[in-house]
Amino acid sequence: MEYRVPNSLASLSGTVHKSIMEYNGGAVVAMVGKNCVAIACDKRLGVQAMTISTEFPKTFQATPKTYIGLPGLATDVQTLSEKFRFKVNMYKLKEEREIEPRTLAHLVSSTLYERRFGPWFVEPVIAGLDKENRPFICSTDLIGCINFAKDFVVSGTTSNQLYGMCESLWEPDLEPEDLFETISQSLMNAVDRDCLSGWGAQVTIITPDQVITRTLKSRQD
Amino acid sequence: MSRRYDARTTIFSPEGRLYQVEYAMEAISHASTALGILAKDGLVIAAEKKVASKLLDETKGGEKIYIINDNMICGVAGFTSDANILINYVQTAAQQYLYTYNEDMPCEQLVQKLCDLKQGYTQYGGLRPFGVSFIYGGWDEHHGFQLYHSDPSGNYAGWKATCIGANTASAQGILRQEYKEEGLTLQEAKNLAIKVLSKTMDTTSLGSDKIEFATLELVNGKVVRRIFGQPEIDALLKENNLLNKTEEAK
Repeated sequence: MEYRVPNSLASLSGTVHKSIMEYNGGAVVAMVGKNCVAIACDKRLGVQAMTISTEFPKTFQATPKTYIGLPGLATDVQTLSEKFRFKVNMYKLKEEREIEPRTLAHLVSSTLYERRFGPWFVEPVIAGLDKENRPFICSTDLIGCINFAKDFVVSGTTSNQLYGMCESLWEPDLEPEDLFETISQSLMNAVDRDCLSGWGAQVTIITPDQVITRTLKSRQD
Repeated sequence: MSRRYDARTTIFSPEGRLYQVEYAMEAISHASTALGILAKDGLVIAAEKKVASKLLDETKGGEKIYIINDNMICGVAGFTSDANILINYVQTAAQQYLYTYNEDMPCEQLVQKLCDLKQGYTQYGGLRPFGVSFIYGGWDEHHGFQLYHSDPSGNYAGWKATCIGANTASAQGILRQEYKEEGLTLQEAKNLAIKVLSKTMDTTSLGSDKIEFATLELVNGKVVRRIFGQPEIDALLKENNLLNKTEEAK
C-alpha cells in the first residue's frame, strides 16, 4: 500500500523545533547572600538533542564585581556578551569608573528593547555588588523587562525546575560558603531534570574581597 | 603668501599647500607641550597642563593624556574640544575592532583609522580640519611598544621620541641629543621626559599640579598602564632634583 507522508515541519534532519529558545539549551541562576552574590550556569552546548560541547559556560564578567549570565540561543549569547563588553568598556572610558550592577541592568534592558520586533533570543541574569558592596541581582526577559528580585533569579530551559529548587533551598543571609552549596545544589538537581542542560556547571561567588569561580562535575548526560 | 586660498580647506594653494591645515598646526604650536619617549621595556607620555585659574574645579581626570583602550594611551596638544571628539571616535573604533575580531586593535591600525578621519577633513566636506595633534603610545603583540605622532593633515609617523605643542623645537633638540641609540630603560625614559618638560615649561616653578604623566609597561606579560598622581610626579621631580626648582622666566 502506498503511504503518503503529509507535509510537515520536519526538515531533512527529521526533527522540528518548537521554540528557538530551546535550540541550544542552558540554565542560569543567581542568588543573594549575606554581603555576597552567586551566579551559576551549566556548560552544555547542544543542537536540539545532540550535545556538541561541554565547555560552553554562559556567565561573563562585566566588571570585577558584576557578572552577566546569558542563556538562550548560543549565537546570541556570544554576540551579546561581546556587545556588552563593548558597551561596558566605553562606559568605563567615559565615566572613569566601573558600571554599577543596577545601571548595567538598564543597559541590558535598553539593548534588548532596541530589538523589540526582532529580538535577541536570550534571557539575561545579572548579579553583582554595588560600590557599597550591597548585593544586587535581577533578570530580564528577551525584550528587556527587568525583574528585580531580593532572593534569586532563574533563566534558561531549566527555569521551571530552578524555581522549584531555589524556592525550597534558598534562605536569606547565607554566608558565601553556604550560598555556594545552596546555589550548586539548586543548579545541579534542576538540570538533571532537563535534557537540554547540564554536562558540568560553573559557579561564581562574588564577595567584597574576592571573586571565586568553581567548576563542578555533574552527571554527564 | 596668497590669502585668496585660505577660505576653503579643500583646495590647494598655487604653491601646493593646504593653508587651513597649516593654520591648524599654527594653533597647536601655541598649546602646551606634550611629549612621548619609547623605552626598551615600555614608554612614557608626559605633558604640561595649562592651569588657567585657581578657581577651576577639575571634575574629569586630565586634559592632556587620555586612555584609548587597555593597550593604548595618547597625549594631546591643541583644542581640547576637538580632541574630545577624536578621542571618542578612536575609543569607539578600538571597541568596534574588539567586537569584530575579539582581539585588541593593533596600534598602527588605530592610528591609521584616526588619521583617515582627519584626512577626510582636508579633502571633502568643506569643514575645517581638527586643531589637534596626538602622541599615541601603545603595545601590541606583533610589534611590542610603539610611539606615533599624528597632526591635522592626517599624516602620521612612528617615533622613538617626539613632542607636540609649544617649544617643540627646543624639546625635540634635547630629545635628539639625549636619546641613546641602543635604547633607554623605562626609568631613564621617565627621567628624560621630566627633564625635557622642565626645560621647556614657561613657568618659574615646576610642580606636579602642572604636569600630567603616564607610563605603559609589561608586567608578567600583561600591559600595565600607570597614570601618575600628584604624589608620584612629585617623587619623580624629587629624584631628578627638579622639585621647586626656580627657573629664569623665558
